[in-house]
Amino acid sequence: MSGSLLLQSVILGLLLGGLYALLAAGLTLYFGVMRVVMIAHSAFLILAAYLAWWFQRETGLDPLLSLVVTVPLFFVVGFVMQRLLLARLRPATLTMMSVLLTFAIALTIEGLLGYVFSGTQRRIQLDYSGSSLEVFGANIAVVKLIAFGLAAVALLGLWALMKLTRFGQALRATIQHPEAARLLGINTDRIAGFGFGLGLATAAIGGTALSLDSTIYPSLHWHWIGPLMAIIVIGGLGSIPGAAIAAMLLGVSQSLLQVPLGTTWAQTVFYIALFATLMVRPQGFFGGRLAQRF
Amino acid sequence: MPSASSTRTGFDTALLGIKGLALVAAGVLVLAFPQLAPDAFILSVGVVIASYAALAVSWNFVGGFTGYISLGHAAYSGLGGYGTALLILEAGWNPWLSLVGSAVAVGVLALPIGFASLRVRGASFVIVSIALVLILLLVSQSWSDVTGGSNGLRVPRPFGEDVLRPEQHERFFYLHVGLIVIALAVWWAIDRSRFGTGLKAIREDEDKAQALGVPTFAYKLTVFVISAFFTALAGGMYALWFGSLDPIFQFSILVGSYMVLMSLLGGIRSLLGPVVGAVIVGYSLEYFKSAYGDTQFHLVALGLLLALVVLFMPDGVLPALGSLVDRIRPDKATSIREMTAAELVEKNKEIDEARREPEEVSR
Amino acid sequence: MTTTQAPPAVRSLETVELRKSFGGVHAVDGATVTFRPGKINALIGPNGSGKTTFFNCVTGMIKPDSGEVTYQGADITGKAPHRIAAAGVGRSFQLCRIFPRMTVLENMLVGVRPEGLLHRLRGSRNADDIAKARELLRRVGIDHLESSEARDISYGQQKLLELAGVLMTDPETIMLDEPAGGVNPALIGRIGTLVRELNAEGRTFVIVEHNMDMVMSLSDHVVVFDRGRPIAEGTPAEVQGDPRVLEAYLGI
Ligand SMILES: Nc1ncnc2c1ncn2[C@@H]1O[C@H](COP(=O)(O)OP(=O)(O)OP(=O)(O)O)[C@@H](O)[C@H]1O
Ligand SMILES: [Mg+2]
Repeated sequence: MSGSLLLQSVILGLLLGGLYALLAAGLTLYFGVMRVVMIAHSAFLILAAYLAWWFQRETGLDPLLSLVVTVPLFFVVGFVMQRLLLARLRPATLTMMSVLLTFAIALTIEGLLGYVFSGTQRRIQLDYSGSSLEVFGANIAVVKLIAFGLAAVALLGLWALMKLTRFGQALRATIQHPEAARLLGINTDRIAGFGFGLGLATAAIGGTALSLDSTIYPSLHWHWIGPLMAIIVIGGLGSIPGAAIAAMLLGVSQSLLQVPLGTTWAQTVFYIALFATLMVRPQGFFGGRLAQRF
Repeated sequence: MPSASSTRTGFDTALLGIKGLALVAAGVLVLAFPQLAPDAFILSVGVVIASYAALAVSWNFVGGFTGYISLGHAAYSGLGGYGTALLILEAGWNPWLSLVGSAVAVGVLALPIGFASLRVRGASFVIVSIALVLILLLVSQSWSDVTGGSNGLRVPRPFGEDVLRPEQHERFFYLHVGLIVIALAVWWAIDRSRFGTGLKAIREDEDKAQALGVPTFAYKLTVFVISAFFTALAGGMYALWFGSLDPIFQFSILVGSYMVLMSLLGGIRSLLGPVVGAVIVGYSLEYFKSAYGDTQFHLVALGLLLALVVLFMPDGVLPALGSLVDRIRPDKATSIREMTAAELVEKNKEIDEARREPEEVSR
Repeated sequence: MTTTQAPPAVRSLETVELRKSFGGVHAVDGATVTFRPGKINALIGPNGSGKTTFFNCVTGMIKPDSGEVTYQGADITGKAPHRIAAAGVGRSFQLCRIFPRMTVLENMLVGVRPEGLLHRLRGSRNADDIAKARELLRRVGIDHLESSEARDISYGQQKLLELAGVLMTDPETIMLDEPAGGVNPALIGRIGTLVRELNAEGRTFVIVEHNMDMVMSLSDHVVVFDRGRPIAEGTPAEVQGDPRVLEAYLGI
């Protein structure tokens, strides 16, 4: 592997890792507020990508503008989904039943996408789709940089929201110690709903970023949910920084392995890392306090 | 000492009779099905439903006893199918020996997988179960030297080519029914064993079970391996019947979710729940396919149905029927007797008196 | 039984410098405790003083960060709960935990100490176990409910069921987390009676309890916890008069 190819792979891996990190942060949020593994996360991701593609096709405007609609929309959908569906499940069987319920939602979304937009592969064509930039001698597509920028800004925003606002404080309290949070007068049910809304908003942003440089089709979400779930387990369920680190590491590994092994085999790195983690340290490598009993 | 619970009422006897009759009738119907089926197509639908039932019953070893929901059991049925095919094709084994051999191999493979995913609670288990199917799909699609990739793999028929299609269907229908009966018998035996009591305790409250001395991890792992073994048998049996394998259908998330939906709909706590669920869901699926073709809409239907069951009927139809029966049971009010405060005081006195004697001795 | 210097004949449950913190909260903070074998030991302390966490560390439900737990001289620190149960330490939970969708009798059959693989595979409808289960149910007074589902019986009855279930494992040492919490006075009396009876048979008790009447009338030895460590111990009378205890409870 030549030096510049190596560099290119690392940079592409980091860019991809940024997107993984954003999406994994969303999954971590759901897990934090409700101990729910949200299988439909990546289905919403693909849904957002379809909406961006459709928006661009119908209006001819830049797909990034679709964020103005999809982010608030997904936030509301997430809130409503948590309040109306997930909150109804019995606490005793919540972990298992929520997986099934969100799995069912994922199937429904996939089916509807196939029904409405057909199973044909879709791709957004933009004037800047083909252009690329020289970064340290490596050739990087502009759309990938935009996608990464979007993910990075969203992650930073999420971080600021969690650390600097009262709402973020309440959210963190709810994640760390729901009973104590309730005693402090925090309406943890509402906060859990907002947590879901935020999580789904990350899927909206991620989906738009994804649509810029990916070919999309309804069953694509299965290719995303596996890696994402591996990331949150390795990061230690419930830890956003842990998920971000794992996302970056795995993104780079995947990108590096793609050169000698090809795309398909490179994907297996997530699963191998997942099994290895569970064998060695089932509570994950970072954070992981929440994970002990899950 | 009052012991109201052990006397059987007339109502219970009647109920038992009805249940027995229904069971016998269902059994006769199943056995006579190949003769009743009007054509080979209906017969093949019967085989498909029987295959679903075998898968659901196998799935229910883990799901029903421990409450751990695996969405990735297609991994084991798929591996069972490929294992059977490869043992016949590459090793030249007898088909039936291949079937059992591949199921044993899958059971062995399930050990490390269970070891990794069962040490922590539910969430990791589900994640691994899905990941496993996805990884196997990736691998089997790209490793086309072995699996035939998306061109598929032809599985030689065990009964030779001179046996005609309807005859093949009929034999495989009975073979599947035989497999279901064996799996049910094992499930029933576990249900009544101490092992089974420990497993059900895990389903109800894992920490509490462990505090009472149940080696929860070993129990979960054991039943997980049993489940993988039977699932692989069912997958291999299907492969022998169907005659060709394609990664997309073998390692499909959908097949795994069918197993969950069937068991859940029928009732995971009951022996026959998965079979009932398989008949309902399997029949609907086949009907849907023949009526509307292979549209994306069956995904929506599956998704909505699963969501409805999870939200409104997580216990399944059989327990729902059971509670319906309980509602019309005539002696329901007296079946649980609260002790009144007066009774308690009385009893307390009794115990106190009994206690006083040894205590006075010890002083 | 007169000298104070002589070491006790049997050692029971002991902890040395046990620590467990959750994030910044030091729930158990260097607890060194020796419980009296063959006695009814009480563990008291204000809410949040770490009693339940201490129980969880001792019975293996959570791993302590550091420190040591020994039972009858053997190190059981961080062992799996079922191993500690097999060693002879049984426990109940603060918020009564039973198996809601199993019958009362099935609940009893979970906690049988197995004697090898064959025993595990044997039918749970084994006559000896059932006889033992019925006997214990009769003893706690809920034998007439044996075929009800556990979720259908009253809370007090569930508490009795939990206790009886623990007894199925034949523990030499029984740790009860608030056995009188949330039950009516008549039942408190019955539970107290049972504890004494079982203690007279030679079982050691460690009881966490907020009901002071019960603690004072029942226990032989009291350990007072505050902020994750013992601050006083002695007979009920000694502890009652200890100013440090008063201070801990009143939060002065
Ligand atoms: N799983 C946990 N995660 C975070 N903090 C915990 C956890 N368990 C206990 N704590 C904290 O540890 C401290 C001790 O709690 P613990 O339940 O052991 O007290 P306790 O003495 O049993 O109180 P009570 O008498 O109210 O039952 C409390 O501040 C509690 O909030
Ligand atoms: Mg407590």
